[in-house]
Amino acid sequence: MPKIRIDGREIEVPAGRTLLQAIDDLGLLMNGVEIPHYCWHPKLSIDGSCRLCQVEIEGTPKLQIACNTPVQDGMVVHTQSERVRAAREGVMELLLINHPLDCPICDQAGECKLQDYAYDYGLTQSRSREPRRALKKNVDLGPTIVFDQERCILCRRCVRFCEEVTGTGELRVFGRGDRSVVDIWPGVPLDNPYSMNVADMCPVGALTTKDFRFKIRVWFLEEVPGVCTGCANGCNVYLGVANNKVYRYTPRRNDAVNQTWICDAGRLSYRRIGAADRQRSALVRGELGVPEPASFERALAEAASRLRRLVEVKGPGVIAGVASAHATNEDLYTFRRFLLALGAGESGVAVPRGDSDALLVKEEKAANAEGARVLGFGPARAVLERLRAGGVEALVVLGSDLLGERGLEDLSPLDRLDTLVVLAAHQSDLQRVAHVVFPTRHAAEKQGTLTSHAGRVQRVVPAVEPAFEAHAEGDVLHRLGAALGLPGFEGSYDPRAVFRALVREVPAFAGLDEGALGDQGAPLAAPAERPKASRASPGARA
Amino acid sequence: MISDETRARIDAEIAKYPVKRGALLPALHHVQAELGYVSPQAAAAVAEILEIRPVDVMEVVTFYNMFYDRPQPRHHVYVCTNLPCSLRGARGLLLALEAHLGIRAGRATADGRIALGHEECLGACAYAPMMRVDDRYHEDLDVAKAKGILDALE
Amino acid sequence: MLTTPYVTSYLSEHFAHDDFGTLKGYERRGGYQAAREALTRMSPEEVVQRVKDSGLQGRGGAGFGTGLKWSFMPRETEKPKYLVCNADESEPGSFKDRILMERGAHQLLEGILIAAWATGAEKTFLYVRGEYAWPASQLERAIAEAYAKGYLGPKVMGTRFRHDVVLMRGAGAYICGEETGLLESLEGKKGQPRKKPPFPAQVGAFGMPSTVNNVETFCHVPHILSKGVEWFRGFGTEKSPGTTLFGVSGHAVRPGLYELPLGTPLDEIVFEHARGVPHGRKVKGVIPGGMSMPILPAGELDVRMANEFLRERKTMLGTGGIMVMDETTCMVRVACIITYFFRDESCGQCTQCREGTGWLNKIMSRIERGAGLPADLDVLLDVAGKMEGQTICAFADAAAWPVQGLLRHFRADFEAHLREQKCPFPESFEL
Repeated sequence: MPKIRIDGREIEVPAGRTLLQAIDDLGLLMNGVEIPHYCWHPKLSIDGSCRLCQVEIEGTPKLQIACNTPVQDGMVVHTQSERVRAAREGVMELLLINHPLDCPICDQAGECKLQDYAYDYGLTQSRSREPRRALKKNVDLGPTIVFDQERCILCRRCVRFCEEVTGTGELRVFGRGDRSVVDIWPGVPLDNPYSMNVADMCPVGALTTKDFRFKIRVWFLEEVPGVCTGCANGCNVYLGVANNKVYRYTPRRNDAVNQTWICDAGRLSYRRIGAADRQRSALVRGELGVPEPASFERALAEAASRLRRLVEVKGPGVIAGVASAHATNEDLYTFRRFLLALGAGESGVAVPRGDSDALLVKEEKAANAEGARVLGFGPARAVLERLRAGGVEALVVLGSDLLGERGLEDLSPLDRLDTLVVLAAHQSDLQRVAHVVFPTRHAAEKQGTLTSHAGRVQRVVPAVEPAFEAHAEGDVLHRLGAALGLPGFEGSYDPRAVFRALVREVPAFAGLDEGALGDQGAPLAAPAERPKASRASPGARA
Repeated sequence: MISDETRARIDAEIAKYPVKRGALLPALHHVQAELGYVSPQAAAAVAEILEIRPVDVMEVVTFYNMFYDRPQPRHHVYVCTNLPCSLRGARGLLLALEAHLGIRAGRATADGRIALGHEECLGACAYAPMMRVDDRYHEDLDVAKAKGILDALE
Repeated sequence: MLTTPYVTSYLSEHFAHDDFGTLKGYERRGGYQAAREALTRMSPEEVVQRVKDSGLQGRGGAGFGTGLKWSFMPRETEKPKYLVCNADESEPGSFKDRILMERGAHQLLEGILIAAWATGAEKTFLYVRGEYAWPASQLERAIAEAYAKGYLGPKVMGTRFRHDVVLMRGAGAYICGEETGLLESLEGKKGQPRKKPPFPAQVGAFGMPSTVNNVETFCHVPHILSKGVEWFRGFGTEKSPGTTLFGVSGHAVRPGLYELPLGTPLDEIVFEHARGVPHGRKVKGVIPGGMSMPILPAGELDVRMANEFLRERKTMLGTGGIMVMDETTCMVRVACIITYFFRDESCGQCTQCREGTGWLNKIMSRIERGAGLPADLDVLLDVAGKMEGQTICAFADAAAWPVQGLLRHFRADFEAHLREQKCPFPESFEL
């Protein structure tokens, strides 16, 4: 590998890369090696027009743009020399002469690269006395994006994104010289399933999302690393949290999962966390046959008593379980242990489905479908067949995706059940026929792991606390197990301990630990490499 | 829309280039020869023939001086006002023509016949002042000669 | 209107004869013999070496060694190779390529043929600026004649060499005269110059190896081949051999074209050939090489017109467009015209160029209007300095240099504007 010297430090860089690419490959860009830039983006073609990334390379008289200079063995680079600083100052000054003084009303403030680099590299005062360009402001570019043409610094990232990533090509630069403007062709708005990514990659507030417009200043937000739960891709996100509320998702870079992108639907799925249809209270069906709010303890007692009675009368084989693909590995592993310890009959996982695309969006519309399968849950169809054949008297159901399963067109099969226990984060029709409902937590409200469609295990952490009493599915099941006196459900529920147990007991999880997962996740052991499972342990079918 | 003739001309151009898009500028010249400007429909038609997007066509139209994205008067009269021509009275010529036509540079006569403007260097520096009327150069002008040329336009 | 040069040499000596533009007329005077010689009796490598030895520099403004440029084309490749003739002449003050096309189309075609043989190119794209309708029509006529005679097409002059010429009209954008801006325009896109690397010889027209040469550059080639390197080097200087067509314009008694050897002193061209400044006035300044090149004051007109000398005076040959300005000229107005031009023609990609050209022009307009401030002059120089040497192409340099040149030699004009809050030259040309 070529060796270069950068700011006096010798490093080995990947061959065949430009300087910026190589520094970025090593994770050092703006993280040890400071080369400010606008038009370059790790996932787009090289543009070379902003000129901000110029650096000094010994042996070359002119400054060179780091984004388009191939690394060569022995190259000596200076990124902080006087010449480089003067060049950066020049670029910043020139970008600011036409830039409107919108900071007080601009959403980008606080995460604006123009602000940042002007502060780091620019002049403190403008010398221009000339009137600024007057262009379009507050333009409806399409269903998701607001456009301010005056703020645009013409880095062309958005143009390249629409051309190279989504292939939709809605945005272009029209005109010439200092009359150049980014715009759409009239009648063809910016409207594609990934449109909101342009707001992330726009270094300034020219492209912003309608969803986030004027909601909150970004410096109030804590950006908590997490995972989108909209589909099985498991795109990495930052949850923007303030006041115990998630204000937005923005994509978090993970080159193995989602590059730097997220689909619009996934990005907006943060709304599910604070949705009005959250299950806010435990429910117990009263004498009138109508679910009534109850305390968690009351619900626990009711569920335990009903299940215990059924086991005594008919044996545990008449109890079936339906898992949710939204639940974490820890929730699901606890559910598996619960069903085994109980001696329950059929179990399966209900997975919601929808459209997919060639980029990120997956057919399975839940974040842990693969995790459920790896942990031994087959399709929920098996449970439904048994239900219709009359062999099921009680169901413990996680989530409400059972309702979407083919074969369950209406609630009547469930209505006939002796006992229906539902653990759900959102309200659904299941409540109408359930005997006990437990409110559960969204992935943003608990500690755990999710397994993406590609078999990548990724962590989620509690970013917000629900305003009502709700527990992770695993927690509810742990307490239910304890209430039923099942072995192995002593003490309190600890998802971290559950994960460690997973790693020990489930061959696919072998070798993982929290450290290995980090912020980018880690893959399951490939089937060929998995150590043999013992017969008794759950997940033997994996 | 564009005529069959124009379409045939565009097809002939496409044959000369290894990539269809290479024929875009020639195609737009042909479209303008017929319509006087590149209408949205014409842009869409050209885009389809060349297998690109209408927005690709309009981006090009807005970049080049000689392509227009709106209907044009019958004649374009451009007086060069770059340095060599200005040194020899181009500005005075333009002002005289403005007065003669009764319009400011950058506008068109009310009857839609003539658009008057100024242009950058046209490569006739030794024959200044001069003007371009559509595809023709008129050089070594004085005010009288220039007026005469305009008056002769239909 | 006189279109033939007042002083001629090997390029333009026959321009006075109308039939020189026809294939018959051209051949009658020895045309196409050099091409035939090259195609039938010389190897491509020999031709490249001949042109290298001649020391011919490109005549499009950059002055790059032509033979050297041809040698960059890959010898062995599966890809089709292209030549591109840059006939986008748009540099203010330049009109030499126009005459070469109007009166000597076959001379150009012969040069192209020889270059094609030397580089292995199968097709030439002849990119003519959109406004040159008449020169383009002359070229179309000549190309048709060449095809009819078998000098273009599948079997050039009966050999196995195949070559086609496609003429394409531009549409009005100065930046398409920049080598890679031209390639972009040729491909049907906006003429925005490309970042380098890669260079045209590796990735050129339509991604294929290409060589871009100026019209005049091609025109010298048949003469170099037919009359030899030594003969060619007999014209001009050691470093800058050959002739060029100097174009004189502005305040000259006899503006027009003068084909003279490189290295001819500027004052000889202005005062002898172009007969000096009219109305008995004195010269104030001369731009020697097209508007991108810094101006020279009256006291420096003894400079010899070749790059090695002009560089010492902080200017360059460019395209040899000599613009004469007499003592009535207000240099602030000159700066307004120049900065307006560059602002208009910037392609808009690079920050320094897009914003810098705009800022320079805005400041100049304000100074001309009488609203200038003392700090403006330093800002002008500073901005020009920030534009230099830092962009994808040399346009920003071309925009910066004239401002630097004008302030270097005529700062007094600017200061007078600031002091008096109006133009202090009542007789100056109008803006």
